[in-house]
Amino acid sequence: MDDAANSGISEPLDLVKLSLGERVFIKLRGDRTVTGLLHAYDAHMNVVLSQVEETIHIVDVTEDGNPLPPRVEKRSLEMLFVRGDGVILISPTQQ
Amino acid sequence: MSGFFGFDTSLPERGGQRGPGGGQQHFSGFQASNVDETFALGGAGEEEDLAVYTWGEGGMGGGGLLEGGDELNDETFGDDLGEINNNFQFSSQPATAPPTVKGKIASTQSRYKPKPVSDPFAFSEDDFYSSRPSKKTTTAKAPSRPKPSTGQSGSVENLWNKPAVSSPAWGTAPSAMTKLTPPPSASFPSQPPAPGHIKSLEEIEAEMAQMAIPSTSTAAPTQQKVFSLEEIEKQMMEQIEPPRQATPQQPAPPREATPTQVPGLAGSGYASQQALLDSMFPELGKGPSALGGLAPAFPPGPRQEGQSQPSQPPQPSPEELARMEELHKRITSKIQSMAKYNNLMGSSDKDFITRIQLSQLATADPYTSDFYAQVFSALKRSRMIAEGQGDGPTVVQVGAGMGLGVGGPVGNRFGKMGQNTMTKLSTQVKKLVENRAQHQKITNTAALQGALGRVTRGNAAAPRPVLAIPTSNKPENRPASQLNQQTGIHRAALTKKQVMFALEELYDAILELEQMRREAPPPTAMEEIEIWHAKCQAKVDIIWRRLMVMEPLDISIPHPFISLVNPIKGQKLFPRLLRHLPHTQSITLLSLLIATYTQLDVVFRAPPPPVADASLLTKADRLDRVKREAETDSFLQFVIPGVDMIINRCGLGLVAGMLAISAQRSEVWRVAATRPGVALYTALLSKAQSLIRSPTPDPMNPQQNQQVDPAELEQWSKTFTYFLHVLLPHLNDLFPSSVAQKAAFGPGAYLIGGDAVSDREGQEMERREAEVWGFVAVLAVNAAEEDQTNLVAALREKILHTVQSSRHPNVSPARAEMKLRNVNMFLNGLGLDASMIE
Repeated sequence: MDDAANSGISEPLDLVKLSLGERVFIKLRGDRTVTGLLHAYDAHMNVVLSQVEETIHIVDVTEDGNPLPPRVEKRSLEMLFVRGDGVILISPTQQ
Repeated sequence: MSGFFGFDTSLPERGGQRGPGGGQQHFSGFQASNVDETFALGGAGEEEDLAVYTWGEGGMGGGGLLEGGDELNDETFGDDLGEINNNFQFSSQPATAPPTVKGKIASTQSRYKPKPVSDPFAFSEDDFYSSRPSKKTTTAKAPSRPKPSTGQSGSVENLWNKPAVSSPAWGTAPSAMTKLTPPPSASFPSQPPAPGHIKSLEEIEAEMAQMAIPSTSTAAPTQQKVFSLEEIEKQMMEQIEPPRQATPQQPAPPREATPTQVPGLAGSGYASQQALLDSMFPELGKGPSALGGLAPAFPPGPRQEGQSQPSQPPQPSPEELARMEELHKRITSKIQSMAKYNNLMGSSDKDFITRIQLSQLATADPYTSDFYAQVFSALKRSRMIAEGQGDGPTVVQVGAGMGLGVGGPVGNRFGKMGQNTMTKLSTQVKKLVENRAQHQKITNTAALQGALGRVTRGNAAAPRPVLAIPTSNKPENRPASQLNQQTGIHRAALTKKQVMFALEELYDAILELEQMRREAPPPTAMEEIEIWHAKCQAKVDIIWRRLMVMEPLDISIPHPFISLVNPIKGQKLFPRLLRHLPHTQSITLLSLLIATYTQLDVVFRAPPPPVADASLLTKADRLDRVKREAETDSFLQFVIPGVDMIINRCGLGLVAGMLAISAQRSEVWRVAATRPGVALYTALLSKAQSLIRSPTPDPMNPQQNQQVDPAELEQWSKTFTYFLHVLLPHLNDLFPSSVAQKAAFGPGAYLIGGDAVSDREGQEMERREAEVWGFVAVLAVNAAEEDQTNLVAALREKILHTVQSSRHPNVSPARAEMKLRNVNMFLNGLGLDASMIE
């Protein structure tokens, strides 16, 4: 079975395919991460997610240029299209 | 040394012959001391293991000088070299020696003869001009003036001894020159040096003086158009004169002059610079205020603008016109610059590119690779047909098994391209596919190409395939089916990756199968229909094999099939699968499912009872609960209806068998304590009851028309009695509220027992209770009379508590009503009612 599973995987995106319909964790450029149910993807890593929770890591800077401790902002979205050029990594959520 | 430039080596003496003069210093460069120095340098080469040159031998005493690089002269000195012939005119040189040279020099000259173009003697650009045989204008002459000096300074001696000789000589000379008043340039054309004419010292002096002039005015040497003195004067006047002189008529000449001139040259004056600026930055010319600090620097320009503006207010301002003109010019020049690429691509090139682009879209399976667009367009089309509009193809079929999904009803997937384009597209792709098919045949013969390690980039016979359509004709190698042949083997459960992979394969197969079903041939074509049926059946077989239902029951825990149904993805697949499976296979599938029900995640890891205070949970715990709940919900939503459907097709004997399997293989009360378990048993029991009670013919299942077989009935009652007796002691634990109360501890216990939970949660709880009440109701209906009494006895407390709590003032009316309805569901089955309870 292991062989059979591996023989069908010929390119990296085949692994992403295995996560279709599953919750995935996506790291994006701009200090953002997103988790959601993977509905679709393409060769450009464009991705459609549902039940999304987006997490944005923000470091505010005071007027004299000192960084404040990083804070995290979250928002939830019903459905989300993620453009592929921002995607850094896709992984199944650990549970 | 001397041979290098074709000079006589005995120049020092010659210099002496020339006698004293203004230019004498420059030409006495070949002093003995210099020569010695040069030689010293050349001699240094001996110690340094360099090639040794003897004096006079090669004329290249300079040692390192590049001699053979004449080919590069073109690059270095420009293209004018073509005009230079071998007849060197050292016209400006005070050569006592005629160009006819001595023997050793002749040898070097002969060396250069074959290359008449290059002038190896020219050290600078100016040299070239001077050595040109024909000099007609003064302008050409002006640059030529350096010749006498460069002819010398270009020699190797001066290169080596620059500080020694040339700098003092030149340091004094130009300063002296600048003191000279510039002689009128008009005087020069009168004396063009004839070829071969040897200049007198005066001439040379005059030339040098002339040369000094451009250096002050900086423009002349490179400029094409040379201003006469008057012109220059006029320009200088303009600069100096007050701006009032710049009347509207006045700016014309400098303005006209600007386009022809090289930008930024002082010779054209500030006015032209201003014009240039104006043209480059139209906004700047809006007036003196706009120019700001620049205005004084360029007096004429802005003032002109400022003056002309108020004079013609109604008309579009000149700047605007200029800007428009400028814009127009720019546009036209852009178009012109682009126009040189016009018709660069032939129609075949365009064809080729179109095909490359189209090849991205072509796919072996336009429906599944474009599934959502297809479904969407199908929906849209049905709406349009309802509105009376026509429909078009959703797939452009090209060749066998190739196509382009075009989605939209009228092919507007490609924007506004019409039907025409669609046909064009399809022919394009057809061509592409045919091409490929042809090439592929050839490629097969060249299968061994590159076997020896050469990387082939394709050749005429076997070009690299432009379009790679994935073809999966690999024989399906399923270890699962191999394992079927060996029995008693235990394996590890499928890993998550394997499960996911298998599911993806299943989805692919299902999509293909569904597509196949949609492509049913017309009912008249008998043969095609047969083929189609066979194909579908083959696909179903594949799916069946992939489902791994036929694996031995104990091959792994969980069973591979259960592993497939565990993820939500697999659960969603379940109803779609059942649609295609024949009855026997679905029965097999159901038996397997029931036999391994405890292995299901939703049963084995059923969501734990709710806690009163969610804040007690860790985050991971909370997420896990959410996930389990989601899985359970999805199982109830997708799998149970399918299970119901299969059960509904079963006879009593089968139902009894299923229940028996479940009772044998699992701890019934554990399974029944989960929602999927309750749902399964409820379905089984209610089906059995409906079969026993109403053997009336079911229009859907005509085969079950006959009366219930007494043997089956007996088997059923036996199984059920056993089932009930196993279950009875645990009946109270089936109710989620009881479980929750049991699990609760601390103050939470009161919260749950008391009805302080929020109304919404309470109603949710009642809904879940209803499932169990429904189950016990079916139990009651199926049970024999004495068992019914046992049942009521077992549930007595639960009934009483529920009825009482429904009358509690704290309970919302909605929830109270639900509670009563739940209890009545059970009591009514026994012919009782909650209202009878005091």
